Amino acid sequence: MRRVQIMLLIAALALTGGGYLALTAPLDDLQGEFTAMLYIHVPTLWLAFLAFGITALGSIMYLIGKKPRWDRAAEASAEIGVLFAVVGVFTGMVWGQAVWGQAWDWGDARLATTAVMIFVYIGYLALRRAIPDPDVRARRSAILGTIAVIQVPLVYFSVNLFRTLHQTQSIRPDGSTMDPAMVVALVVNVVAFTILFAALFMGRTYVARLEAARATETAPAGESVSPPRLKEIEDV
Amino acid sequence: MSDAFVVLVTYAVVYGSTLGYAVYLHFRRKRAQ
Repeated sequence: MRRVQIMLLIAALALTGGGYLALTAPLDDLQGEFTAMLYIHVPTLWLAFLAFGITALGSIMYLIGKKPRWDRAAEASAEIGVLFAVVGVFTGMVWGQAVWGQAWDWGDARLATTAVMIFVYIGYLALRRAIPDPDVRARRSAILGTIAVIQVPLVYFSVNLFRTLHQTQSIRPDGSTMDPAMVVALVVNVVAFTILFAALFMGRTYVARLEAARATETAPAGESVSPPRLKEIEDV
Repeated sequence: MSDAFVVLVTYAVVYGSTLGYAVYLHFRRKRAQ
């Protein structure tokens, strides 16, 4: 737990630095003060992508090795990913209202695919709550966690595949369309939010480990013994 | 409302929501111990 507290402290310091750079970075001529939305909108949605990627990794590793710690990692990451995705969409809506004149447009590919991605991961968390048996829960949610990650590249490349309202990427392999000071502020904020994600992820997996241990301790005698599987009976 | 105020409130919502999640985890840990 001490490591989580240290990580949270580092994250708070990094976010303070990131916040300072964000509020002092050069402003875009057209967007004015709303340029600062860039430094929270991009990092939060980047973290949602990272979190859902880790959920897929944990899910695949669980399906391969059946180790409960991978299931706990997948669950923790999905929960934090949903938090950051919702926060990221909120910042985008505020930004969109100011710059586009509308907070939401279902006709926009990036917005629609992001909404579907959030709904699917909320469904992933709901599925976990609906299944009481830990093994069945882990296996079924691992299958969904593995399949659902296909939405991450779909959301990311939606602005290139369908040219609608949302702009394309400002930082591309061939260079950036932003002022270098803005790029520095963005990178610092992405790093700061990633440290925050790491701290929350460590804290969430720690809680999951405690809860799993407690569930084993408090389970009634009848529930703590797994019923024999058909194959085991056949082997005898 | 000025633009800067709206931006600051949005920043507060973002930081506040992650802080709220950290507090939620803290109490969930206390309950599990």
